[in-house]
Amino acid sequence: MTEVSQRPRTAESAAAVVTEFFDRYRAHDVDGMTDLCSINADFSYVPVEIWGKQRVLRGDGKVCTVGKPLWTGLIASFPNLSNTVHSVTSNDEGDVVAQVDVEGTQQLAWGLIAPAGRHYCEPHLFIFHVGADLLIDSIAAYWNDAGISQQLGHNEVD
Amino acid sequence: MTMTPTQTVQAFLDAFARHDVDAAIAVVDPQVSVTVHPFGLESSGADVLRGVLADLVRGFPDLMITVGRVITTGDVVTALFKAEGTQAAGYAGAINQEKHLDIDQAWRFVTGGGLITEVTAYWCQAQLYRRLAVKRYDEIAIA
Repeated sequence: MTEVSQRPRTAESAAAVVTEFFDRYRAHDVDGMTDLCSINADFSYVPVEIWGKQRVLRGDGKVCTVGKPLWTGLIASFPNLSNTVHSVTSNDEGDVVAQVDVEGTQQLAWGLIAPAGRHYCEPHLFIFHVGADLLIDSIAAYWNDAGISQQLGHNEVD
Repeated sequence: MTMTPTQTVQAFLDAFARHDVDAAIAVVDPQVSVTVHPFGLESSGADVLRGVLADLVRGFPDLMITVGRVITTGDVVTALFKAEGTQAAGYAGAINQEKHLDIDQAWRFVTGGGLITEVTAYWCQAQLYRRLAVKRYDEIAIA
């Protein structure tokens, strides 16, 4: 049980959990990020979709099965991955909305994008829900993936 | 009586959903800050936002806005919605190929005094271009 789970859920304590989440993300502590989430936390990275010939893979599922591998892969491909939190707003129901820039320099392939040592920085909007136990039980994120592709020198719309 | 932040944004979304751009802009501060990340647009003024809405309605005359969630966190209201429609005119540089669009979006509104004072829109332009059959970001108008 984490220290934050000892406090009652308020707008402030829910926001503190999310702030800690991004601190751990910045430190590449994926296990620590996951520890802030409930075991069955929902996960949705809306722009993530990989079109195959017969199916489309989407970035939807659970933190433990989809989110954690995505975060791990992103950090492997962008070893200096970082984030800048611009705003965090929250309410007493546990909703937390965060404006965050995510950035990094590509060293390994990411999806269909070959590594060219280029840097990207893209604004993201994260929507969290923090449960009464002060664990994150839902994460969704929106951003412009075309912006990332173009900054990395990948001009094909895959 | 001044509308709450939620009511203000709901009025905007309701008007947008029925393609009534004037009614949507009626709840917007004339000096509204407008950021549309997929367009790289950072500007201010109700006419800028009017242009963003009008372009979408013109490009997709059967535009349907389906609001999934409206999240109020103080004066900030975040709306998660799906925009669907069939392209009937050029949009965001993409020529009209009569393709169907469905894009999940998140718009973050800041309100004050019953008006929207700040709008920041997030969606994925890769998803948009993929659906409109654009092949390359550096040749958007070439199908």
